[in-house]
Amino acid sequence: MLLVGDPIGYVAQSSRVDRARWGRTARVGVVADELTGQGVLRLGRREFGPGEFALMAIVNRTPDSFYDRGATYATDKAYDAIARAVEHGADLVDIGGVKAGYGEPVSEAEELRRTVDFVAGIRARHPDLVISVDTYRSGVARQVGAAGADLINDTWAGADPEMAAAAAETGAGLVCSHVGGLTPRTDPHRMAYDDVVADVIRTTTALAEKAVAAGVRQDAIVIDPTHDFGKNTLQSLELTRRLDELVATGWPVLVAVSNKDFIGETLDLPPGQRGNGTLAALSVSAWLGARVFRVHDVPAARQALDLIAVLRGSAQPAGTRRSLA
Amino acid sequence: MSVVAAAVCPHPPVLVPEVATGAAPELDDLRAACLTAIDRLADADRLVVVGSGSSRGQYDASAGGGFAPYGAPGVRFGTGDPVLPLSLAIGGWLLEQTKAAGLPRVYLSVAPDEAPADCLALGQEIAHGNDRIALLVMGDGSARRSEHSPVHLHPRSEIFDNTVASALAVADATTLAALDPDLATELHAAGRAPWQVLAATSDLTGELLYHAAPYGVGYFVATWT
Repeated sequence: MLLVGDPIGYVAQSSRVDRARWGRTARVGVVADELTGQGVLRLGRREFGPGEFALMAIVNRTPDSFYDRGATYATDKAYDAIARAVEHGADLVDIGGVKAGYGEPVSEAEELRRTVDFVAGIRARHPDLVISVDTYRSGVARQVGAAGADLINDTWAGADPEMAAAAAETGAGLVCSHVGGLTPRTDPHRMAYDDVVADVIRTTTALAEKAVAAGVRQDAIVIDPTHDFGKNTLQSLELTRRLDELVATGWPVLVAVSNKDFIGETLDLPPGQRGNGTLAALSVSAWLGARVFRVHDVPAARQALDLIAVLRGSAQPAGTRRSLA
Repeated sequence: MSVVAAAVCPHPPVLVPEVATGAAPELDDLRAACLTAIDRLADADRLVVVGSGSSRGQYDASAGGGFAPYGAPGVRFGTGDPVLPLSLAIGGWLLEQTKAAGLPRVYLSVAPDEAPADCLALGQEIAHGNDRIALLVMGDGSARRSEHSPVHLHPRSEIFDNTVASALAVADATTLAALDPDLATELHAAGRAPWQVLAATSDLTGELLYHAAPYGVGYFVATWT
């Protein structure tokens, strides 16, 4: 007799099986990031939980930007570029009316002409798309905010002292940057830091706190180490390597590494050939906890970020069947 | 004979949603069929789960099962280290979600190469006694059903699986008892030995709830009541 009358009987079990019956949809997306204490980022109509990567597509309204050389200067081309970016998985677009580096002076009136109607047009076409505008002028921030912008990307780190107030007035969020004290549209020369990461943390978190004091929503503020701006290549590499220290501040971290010179110098490659290096830097940043990624190549970045989200355990594979049937 | 009801279910790891990840909804119908079949065992006095393992073995009701070896460490049940072989782990995991979860239970593994006569003898041992016993029989059909199967297509796999499906549908113990162990091995049909344990059961009415090979492996769900 093998088993019948077995006296062990039934033992009450503490099952860890999910007892819910099936039929639920696959779990993709957010899980709480309990270790880092990161909160939800709310921009426009979107919410990005901890562990969820937000992808920001760059669309320039400039005739002279370093990477695309004015490819989307014309309005219809810019709208096409945005539609394509959304289709490829962009959560945000970042609209720039002024080239970051040296170039033709662009008056505030001209910058407004390039951005305000365009922002309103994007808003009309893409109600849920988060619209960011890259500007260092509070006057521009106010008007694009009124036209529907959700985020002001103040790349020049509060060069205009009215910027935080302008964002607060329109209800937009704010990107708090670090440029090592440079004035807008100037290049760094012999920038020196005792500890570049510490300097970035000090500057960006001070700007973030100032923004909160000015009335910007706390859950709409991100900090950006701003690679290359006010930094040499070694300093930008150091920031990438130690990005977890920025993440540990608790502020959501935006990284804009796409095709930048620190990648170019590292690999000895011109702007048109930095895509693979960009993905490497972006991937490391994502792994270390960055949450917003400003990129030129949306499909490539989306694919990399989706994979990293699964590797970090904040999303699940689309489906796993190999060797399991 | 005191086997009053039986359920037959497959045991692929991909049945567990945490293993299938985003593909989990593809087997919603199979999981539902399994749970329906096992729910029908709930009126018995005790339950015996039978499945293939590396050798003959017995595990008590609290034996641990889990799917960490297949990539889902979060899904576990029972107490202690997960010792149940895959077929019994799937069986226990399914059971936990059904009306039969509270029945006294025991798990039995049979070796894949056990002779039909030995399987039948085990079935008769299980049935012996006065208890009203329910069987949960874990077994997969051929893993050579298609060009995309885990093992490459075998021309006899479909007819083999259809034979099994027909037998399960009408509680035809004779056909199950006659399945050829060598052919089952060639066809990578893991269910042969457990089905032949079931073949010791008689006088029940069969119903086939599921028969398909969505990933190139034959899966069956049936009840005998």
